[in-house]
Amino acid sequence: MSAQDARDAPEIASDLPAPRPKEPVPPEPLANVPLLARAGDALAFEWTKLRSVRSNHLTLLFAAVATLGSTAIVAQAATAGPAPRPGGPISGLAGSFLGYAEYGILPLSVLGVLVFTSEYATGLIRTTFVAVPARRLVLAAKAAVAGAAALIIGEGLAFACFLLAQGILAGRPGGGLSLGGSGVLRAVLAAGLFMPACVLVGVGFGAVVKSTAGAIAATVGVIYLLAALCLALPHPWNTRLGRFTLPFAAYQLVTTHPSPSLLPAGWSLLALVAWPAVILAAGGLLLTRSDL
Amino acid sequence: MRSLGPPPGRIPLEAIVVIGAVVVAFVGFCLVDIVRAKQVRYLPKAVWALITCLSMPWGGIVYLAMGRVWGAPAAPLDAQVKVVRLGADADAEAGVGVSGFAGTAGPAGPAGPAAGLAGTVGPAGPGAPAGTAAPAGAAGPGGLSLSGRVGPVALEVDGLTKRFGRVTAVDDLSFVVQPGRVTGFLGPNGAGKTTTMRVILGLDAPTAGTALVGGRHYARIARPLREVGSLLDANAVHGGRTAWFHLLAIARSNGLRKRRVSEVLELTGLDAVAGQRVKGFSLGMKQRLGIAVALLADPPVLVLDEPANGLDPEGMRWIRLLLRAMAAQGRTVLVSSHLMGEMAMIADHLIIIGRGRLLADLPTGEFIDSYARQDVLVRSPRASELAGLLVASGGSVSPQEDGGLAVTGLTAPAIGDLAAGQGIAVHELAPRHGSLEAAYLDLTGASTEFRAVSPAAGESKVAAR
Repeated sequence: MSAQDARDAPEIASDLPAPRPKEPVPPEPLANVPLLARAGDALAFEWTKLRSVRSNHLTLLFAAVATLGSTAIVAQAATAGPAPRPGGPISGLAGSFLGYAEYGILPLSVLGVLVFTSEYATGLIRTTFVAVPARRLVLAAKAAVAGAAALIIGEGLAFACFLLAQGILAGRPGGGLSLGGSGVLRAVLAAGLFMPACVLVGVGFGAVVKSTAGAIAATVGVIYLLAALCLALPHPWNTRLGRFTLPFAAYQLVTTHPSPSLLPAGWSLLALVAWPAVILAAGGLLLTRSDL
Repeated sequence: MRSLGPPPGRIPLEAIVVIGAVVVAFVGFCLVDIVRAKQVRYLPKAVWALITCLSMPWGGIVYLAMGRVWGAPAAPLDAQVKVVRLGADADAEAGVGVSGFAGTAGPAGPAGPAAGLAGTVGPAGPGAPAGTAAPAGAAGPGGLSLSGRVGPVALEVDGLTKRFGRVTAVDDLSFVVQPGRVTGFLGPNGAGKTTTMRVILGLDAPTAGTALVGGRHYARIARPLREVGSLLDANAVHGGRTAWFHLLAIARSNGLRKRRVSEVLELTGLDAVAGQRVKGFSLGMKQRLGIAVALLADPPVLVLDEPANGLDPEGMRWIRLLLRAMAAQGRTVLVSSHLMGEMAMIADHLIIIGRGRLLADLPTGEFIDSYARQDVLVRSPRASELAGLLVASGGSVSPQEDGGLAVTGLTAPAIGDLAAGQGIAVHELAPRHGSLEAAYLDLTGASTEFRAVSPAAGESKVAAR
């Protein structure tokens, strides 16, 4: 009976919402969309997803406040203590970025992790790969969007931290550096670069590990713990291995007095790029091989 | 300003040690990878994380270089591509008559190229009257129109097998989903419906066999939402995003206009809650959102996994009408469910699987006729006398435990007339409709073989008596 009822199709059309004139979807040869156009689609997809979650904005706000706050506290404490020794463990310039390296990098790296893991947790990743089946393209788009956002935020925070700290330290020996000083501008730019490197490590581990907790552990491990572990090694292996880790590589770039026992600036920059590149590549390899 | 430091003149000792260790590890790993061919994901994730950490950065570069050479083999797709653009042959196969052709082509005419499409596809099903598709077809040029350049697209699953470790989820499954009708994909929980759909959508790689959409692998379609709209899991949404942004992001992914988002929101009745975060949505609202995603690009093929799940009766009716209208426009519609009653309302054609194997592939009407038993219960003080009379008149009689007679092959009025003719008193005369669910359960029951004959077998035994 019910089956027969369902068959009386004539009432179907009238039950649907009134048809409205619309422009049809532009027809196009489905197989022949150029890679550039598909990449543009994928970027727009990821950017829309990134900007449309409120918790992302709140995390960003928190990170900015915490970074600037801790930078001010560190600088204020430095005005009370002895002047930083040029070439010492933390020079005045590198000291400007202490708050940034902790309270700026960590929350944003976690956001980087969530780029993938939040989709795995909700199952949205299937929708994503159904919409864009080229999985490496999705990874590249996620990395590009997160990396670009992190670069802008990182540079902004780095400059803000530098100006804030040096403003507080103005008048003290070793403090009050200006952007025009020798190597200062390069150091501040490099500090900004540390942010996308760490965020992309997070994105990459998100793709590799897929679970939020595991990926955060791996990311924090690589960004912070690995360097701490290396420091615990007996001399000279502490710096020999430690110099390849992200914090030491970053330190070599943000200080005006690079340590001779660490990598030179060019190699440090390479290390900063290589970490996220390798982890993202591993993520790309795993993504294309796994079922969802 | 210090220039980028020159490379050290001498390669440091520790670098050689690290490179050596990593190269050895990666060469070994690559060999394992090659030997086990694509079984990488079975390695524990922790090992992977460790390898990745240790491999920085040279090992990774080495592995990448190796990946170039040994990278995942691309399936020889072009060799497998079959063109499934349906013509007259396919129509004849589907049992669509010429009258249906004429009935549909008329109203769809103004749609230009779509006219040919609607014409060839014809009405919703073999069982439907010729006029059925006409009014729905008239809706074609409106909000739901199929974009004219895309012809009817069939969905073809051929010899599909999918194993997860030792478990075979889908076992040598073959079927074709034709355009122009709603095809129900039925099976008990765990029968392999969702796995099949995931393979069709390129999410899972098949162990063997192919699943083609319009002759192509899904993953090889650029902007695939314009070809296939799908709903796999209505809960697969980020709770912190609003419905509008969820749809906008997906629209962006396939180069669709923002206006389409408003259109599908209106179509699915979600326009009032478009600005709310999905977190607060009921399952029914999420189902509607999932269907909105499927309809976003106005695709010629729809693949929906349990779309009626969580919908209220009003929502059930809505989706039933929606899907039937979609099919009437010439689209290919595959809808899964584990509920027979639901499917009988929606589908024109049924594909029934159990334990990953095909059990039945037939029109819904045929299934109902073949499997749903219809008989008449008769009670009479002179039961045995009446039974003899009914058998003599061409009926089949099956005595019930409580003394009643279950009669098939004769209608209730005929039985009443026969009894009255012989002066036999009848105390009860009730036509009974067998449950579709029972027939379905019988079909999909514990046995993996096609038990088509079981309901009929019981009757023939009685008839022979």
